[in-house]
Amino acid sequence: MTDTAPPDDPTRTDPDRPAVLVPLAVLEGEPLPTGTPDLLANAHVVLSGYHVIPEQTAAEQARAQFGETAMAKLEAVAGALRDAGATVETRLVFTHDRETTIDRLIYEHDCLAVLVPNGTERVDSVLVALRGTVGVGRNTRLVAGLFAESDVAVTLYHALNDGETIADGEAFLTGVRSDLVERGMDPDDLEVVVEEAEAAVDAIAGRAESHDAVIMGETDPSVTTFVFGMPAEQVAERFLGPVLVVQRERPAE
Amino acid sequence: MAPPDGPRGPGSDGPSDAADLDAPDGLADAVDVDTGEGELERTIGLSGGLAIGIGTMIGAGIFVFPGLAAENAGPAASLSFAIGGVVALLVALPTSELATAMPRSGGGYFFISRGLGTAPGAVVGIGLWLGLVFASAFYLVGLGSYAGQVFLEAGIALPVDPAVPLGVAFGVGLTALSLLGTENTASLQNAIVAVLLVILTLFLSYGGLDALGVFGAERTPERFLPPGGMLPVLRTAALVFTSYLGFAQVATVAGDITEPSRNLPLAMVASVLVVGVFYVVTVLVATSAFGSARLGEFGETAMVEVARAFVGRPGAIAIVVAGLLATFSSANASILSASRAVYAVSRDDLVPEAASRINLRYGTPHVALGLAGGPIVVLAATGRVELLAEVASFLHLVMYGLICVALIRLRRARPDWYAPSFRCPAGFAVAGCGALASVALIAFMRPASIGIGVAVMVAAYGWYRHYATDVELEGRF
Repeated sequence: MTDTAPPDDPTRTDPDRPAVLVPLAVLEGEPLPTGTPDLLANAHVVLSGYHVIPEQTAAEQARAQFGETAMAKLEAVAGALRDAGATVETRLVFTHDRETTIDRLIYEHDCLAVLVPNGTERVDSVLVALRGTVGVGRNTRLVAGLFAESDVAVTLYHALNDGETIADGEAFLTGVRSDLVERGMDPDDLEVVVEEAEAAVDAIAGRAESHDAVIMGETDPSVTTFVFGMPAEQVAERFLGPVLVVQRERPAE
Repeated sequence: MAPPDGPRGPGSDGPSDAADLDAPDGLADAVDVDTGEGELERTIGLSGGLAIGIGTMIGAGIFVFPGLAAENAGPAASLSFAIGGVVALLVALPTSELATAMPRSGGGYFFISRGLGTAPGAVVGIGLWLGLVFASAFYLVGLGSYAGQVFLEAGIALPVDPAVPLGVAFGVGLTALSLLGTENTASLQNAIVAVLLVILTLFLSYGGLDALGVFGAERTPERFLPPGGMLPVLRTAALVFTSYLGFAQVATVAGDITEPSRNLPLAMVASVLVVGVFYVVTVLVATSAFGSARLGEFGETAMVEVARAFVGRPGAIAIVVAGLLATFSSANASILSASRAVYAVSRDDLVPEAASRINLRYGTPHVALGLAGGPIVVLAATGRVELLAEVASFLHLVMYGLICVALIRLRRARPDWYAPSFRCPAGFAVAGCGALASVALIAFMRPASIGIGVAVMVAAYGWYRHYATDVELEGRF
């Protein structure tokens, strides 16, 4: 496996590697959280350094002064990710609005997921919270792409929606499980949990405590363009470990 | 949309401090191309651009000038405002074309230095900084007048006219606020402009209907033209032209505007049209409520008395609030623009690089803001409203005239890099008229204003000869 695609190679993205966007406030001294290189060893990382500037400052002005420093820091982080096995593309953006920038980059690089960059000591077990069948294929692509080659234990989790029975939930997750096995996951690494939960966010955050990382979807698909869906943000705040937020498919332009 | 291709990272672009200016990225559309030091996100949309234009302009024309203008020109002051609006439009169209060809921060200075060369660029760049300094000081005195009116409405008698001290205090406060980084100023600006437009529309509709005799006795209009004929009208046009200085501020943030080829021309032209209509109607309504001489006695806050005459105390209070918001937003926008003007000339080595340093902690250009805020406060302390306004207009009109000249020159020379996505209709004619009108308007100013304006230009040229003769800016990107 090549760990670094040459930058001028047009086929630099291995199609099996899920593209994951890692935002980094590069000039605020935000380091790459511990554990991130391990978590994303099999990913194609879009390392997005950004610097938010106040409105009274022209973006060009900030770039002229801080561009070189920021780029050097970003390259150092990219090196650490490459050493762990990831392929890495770097982007550096000076912006007045973080959300706009990250949203655009997700779109331009067709990222499957965005990392909420929290640290973790190790990556042995991962909780995958699944809402329902809509867009579940993107979750399985991400999970299989990241962990098929590793021995990370993956727990598939579904909190029952209104009117669903335990049997419905189990049937759903069993389908996801076999899809993952088809994509190369070891069946022994996969566990399935269905439960009834008052508030899905609380339940996921509670479950997450016995895992090292969480994978979950964006918020309600009817609410558009929020980068981190609210539930994912709440989980990340309570869990304090890395959360991969799976992005919805963007409508083609 | 495909992801931007090509290599990224410092290793791939080679040394990149001067080199990045040579990259052909002046025409970048949604996002400037990464030159090895990062990309720039464009975050100001059409509504943001309109808010900058309208928000900068509307403070003066409606809330400071009507009394002064009516005193000089009577009801024909509305004609003065209309003349100013036509001149502004003649300049806004060429400016739009240049801005879509060079969507960079720096506005008029950038176009002139790239289109006409370093010497005119230096005069305009330094002139723009000081022009904005004069404009800001003018707005601050207006803001102080409205803040003083608050005391009057509250029935608190003050021993001295508080306009100037309050204006100075606001100047210090606004500069400090900008230094410490104000998040969300744009959304605040949008909200202020929306509130203003609502208050003014209500007020002017009522006043307009009243003037036509709908609500009571028809008021006898006084003679439209003042005794002196057209001369006072043109003199007043030169005085109140300060009310139109904001449209070019949209171009100073061209580097941050999304879809510049569409949004820049729209924002500039529409904001001139909107404020122009408001100005003309305001003066007509004001002169229908009081005689011109009486309006003149009310001074900067004449509109408060007009509102009081129509709807009593609530109307007066609404206009005081609107006046505070409008002059505040004009002053704030101009201080920020002045600091951007300092940055633009510093980036091009026309003044020492230190002037554009950014404070990493707050992310703000503290030296440039100081160079803007310091002189603004000093000038506001003079309290000479009409002089401040005219000098500001003078320095801007010189720039506007040269913008028109730059358009003509670039259209003739057609350098490779000149590919505007918006083309000014009847470009040569419009730019020619715009240049002539700008110069003509200057001729109607009072001698003191012209003297100070010329002195600033001479000083700017002297600085260029002393400091920056070896800088070559024509066609540099």
